[in-house]
Amino acid sequence: MRLESHPIVDFKRGKEVTIYFNGQPVKAYEGETIAAALYAAGVRVFSRSFRFHRPRGFFCAIGKCSQCMMEVDGVPNIRTCKVYVRDGMQIRTQNAKPDAENDYFAIIDKLIDRFFPHGSHYKKFNSPRLLREFMTKQMRKMAGFGNVPRNVPDVNTEYEVMEADVAVIGGGPGGLSAAIHAAKYGAKVVLLDENNYLGGQLIKQTHRFFGSGRHKAGTRGIRIAEILEEELMQYDNVDIRKETKVFGIYGMDVAGVQNNSKLLRVKARKIVIATGAYERTLIFENNDLPGVYGAGGVQTLMNVFGIKPGNKGLIVGSGNVGLILTYQLLQAGVDVAAIVEAMPRIGGYFVHAAKVRRLGVPIYTRHTIVKAFGEKKVEGAVIAQLDERWNVVEGSEREIECDFICVAVGLSPAHELLYHVGAEMKFVPELGGMVPLRTRFNETSVKGVYVAGDVAGIEEATAAIMEGRIAGIHSAITLGYGGDEAKKELDEAVKDLEEFRAGPFGERIVCGLEKCVLESEVML
Amino acid sequence: MKVAIIGAGVMGLSTAYYLSKSGIDVTVFEQKYLLYGASGRNSGGITPMIDREELIPFALESMKLYDTLPSEVDFNFLLRKEGYVKLASSERDAETLKEEVWMQNRFGVSSRIMTPEDVRDFIPDFNPDSAVLASYCRESGVIFPWPVVWGLAKGCRKHGAEIKTQSRVERIETNGSKLIVYSNGEKYRFDFVVNSAGAWSNEISKMVGIELSNRIIKEEVCVTESIKPYINPYIYDISSGVYVTQTARGEIIGGITGMEVDKIDTSSTIEFAIRYAKRVVQIIPKLKGLAMLRQWAGVYDEGRDGLPVIGFTEVEGFVQANGLGKHRGMVIAPALGKELARLIEKGENPSIKKFNPERL
Repeated sequence: MRLESHPIVDFKRGKEVTIYFNGQPVKAYEGETIAAALYAAGVRVFSRSFRFHRPRGFFCAIGKCSQCMMEVDGVPNIRTCKVYVRDGMQIRTQNAKPDAENDYFAIIDKLIDRFFPHGSHYKKFNSPRLLREFMTKQMRKMAGFGNVPRNVPDVNTEYEVMEADVAVIGGGPGGLSAAIHAAKYGAKVVLLDENNYLGGQLIKQTHRFFGSGRHKAGTRGIRIAEILEEELMQYDNVDIRKETKVFGIYGMDVAGVQNNSKLLRVKARKIVIATGAYERTLIFENNDLPGVYGAGGVQTLMNVFGIKPGNKGLIVGSGNVGLILTYQLLQAGVDVAAIVEAMPRIGGYFVHAAKVRRLGVPIYTRHTIVKAFGEKKVEGAVIAQLDERWNVVEGSEREIECDFICVAVGLSPAHELLYHVGAEMKFVPELGGMVPLRTRFNETSVKGVYVAGDVAGIEEATAAIMEGRIAGIHSAITLGYGGDEAKKELDEAVKDLEEFRAGPFGERIVCGLEKCVLESEVML
Repeated sequence: MKVAIIGAGVMGLSTAYYLSKSGIDVTVFEQKYLLYGASGRNSGGITPMIDREELIPFALESMKLYDTLPSEVDFNFLLRKEGYVKLASSERDAETLKEEVWMQNRFGVSSRIMTPEDVRDFIPDFNPDSAVLASYCRESGVIFPWPVVWGLAKGCRKHGAEIKTQSRVERIETNGSKLIVYSNGEKYRFDFVVNSAGAWSNEISKMVGIELSNRIIKEEVCVTESIKPYINPYIYDISSGVYVTQTARGEIIGGITGMEVDKIDTSSTIEFAIRYAKRVVQIIPKLKGLAMLRQWAGVYDEGRDGLPVIGFTEVEGFVQANGLGKHRGMVIAPALGKELARLIEKGENPSIKKFNPERL
């Protein structure tokens, strides 16, 4: 399933190693995550669901969905899509007997709803007392998810406290840009990112970007990540902490775990939250079946690790992500059965759609996926036409032959940290969900806390870069850095972004932003 | 007779439950929602092995109620009685444990002293070097506080009580022998008003002009991701204040005994996370690899002399039912609620006389 050649990406695989999956040796390459290596080896069932023991597989590939949690070297609940393989690693599936693939408890899925509708464990077998006590014991045996820890992890833990003018959380386009522009004017910057590389989701964007001339249009996403990183590296007042998961903001202290062993506490004067977004999923029958993936998850698999997601895919959603993904799949030699789109017209840019159509992929507008089928993994799907009231047109169902389904129905801001700081939030559908109120300099209702990129509202990487620039410069200026030159660039940056959004594709964003602008602005 | 209960925690709801069971007209006012207060935020350890002899009879009685109430209200509290371990990590605290056990035995609690090595019999991964002495009581365990609140609320409703959530009491006025309660722009008349508002009791008391001055205590708790059933008893280290057990869903839950604060505050701190994690991995080293999933804080109150404040006050019809204190609210509340209901119904109840607000 590993790609040997690709028209755009040259996969440099590391040394071959052997990992052990439920005791069986599996070939892997250094630089691959456990989840990617297992996928390449044909493993599809990664875990079993908490209660019903339904098969669960790979989904998001960025540590958000928790479907890939396994026991690794005796430590339970490890997100295998975020941990890189090491020779001799012992990996076991959880919440299943004997293993996730052949779980005896899968029978529960067939029975449980009939006997225990959701929440009924509080209401069944309550008297007599002995029966209740016996049943409560049995229920407890079934509870719990991860394997019991086998040993004490062999790590020396450390604690580091540091100070920073600006702490930037997230090393994607928004965060990188914020760090660059705060550092440029002399602020001491700490950039924290959970991955072992910078660039966030750019690293799987193998396509060329659009936009006006000077916004890196025509450059491929992977290259943009490199350009930004090179730019950031010029400044020695930037401390970059990769593999650092920020888990909380306490007052103005940003707390994270670096390399799974060090507790890092950054006492920051300004914070830029650039945590990006989650992939949304869609409700349809069997949407949790292994083989139903987030579009981004498939991009990671294919464009970062060079692993084919399957032989024939069905794409749900014809936004730019769905269209670009289709093209990328075809580039990698994977067949795409169809794209379905619930709206009456294609969501993404015409050029992308035209390209996909030229390659013979049908796009069904006013269609939706009704269900996926298959025992332990996707073996096909049923799609159907929708009427004006979004109901399925009877008799229009048809089967699509495919072995994986990509859900490309948009993103939701990853806004947990905004709740930690107590930022005022608002539901703005145009921006993808709950987003923070912000000034036009991207400062939230909490003084000194900024947002940049998808966490502020789902948009494009180009806009994220521009928002990061604004947040970075503004935070530096308010700390007394930069002087007139910085103020001038800030004005320019704000104007740039306004221009960028002025086109027809920015209309929706502008409309959404109007609903969440804070009037009170920090005077400069 | 009409009774208002302010605060739908375990104390308020158990009082409401037993009052309504006797056919009394009860209305419960909850400022936010069920489980908002300490009853929804604690870790569910229940034991009669507590440090105040005055409260032990009520803890023992509640343990019995926890056996019978689920059938009565038809709701499973997910109680598991697999013991409660107290640890002492200094010689001085070891003495305290010994004195406590001696006292507890006199009051009919079957607790006993054991060596840290003995603890491994029920918690195989316990590190015996983390303590110098332990005490243990089999007739204790862990309850899931949420169904306790839900179940009591269900029982209240079954007997005709009304539970008003999102109904903060804004003002209380006295009018002859009646008390008038203002909430959400409405006005209600009652014969009795019970102040079971936990950490908010001081504020409620002030509305009728009574200075209560209970200590407000803030406590922080956290859970890890879920693992298979692994830790059965409840473990409480009296030296560090750290306690830990496993929830019904498999998360490792624990916290640190709270500290007095000036005002109500439910913000989480990183200091807590650090202190807690450090101590817990000494107690059970294999927990070191687990990821903390959530942390939160809650507030409760304690009477100035460490005992609950329960009974009639100088304001006719205004009844205190608060100040339950550290590590025991969940285990004394059902019995205290039952006794308080009797006090309101009959006008007297000698069993809870020692908690009379006038002693303060």
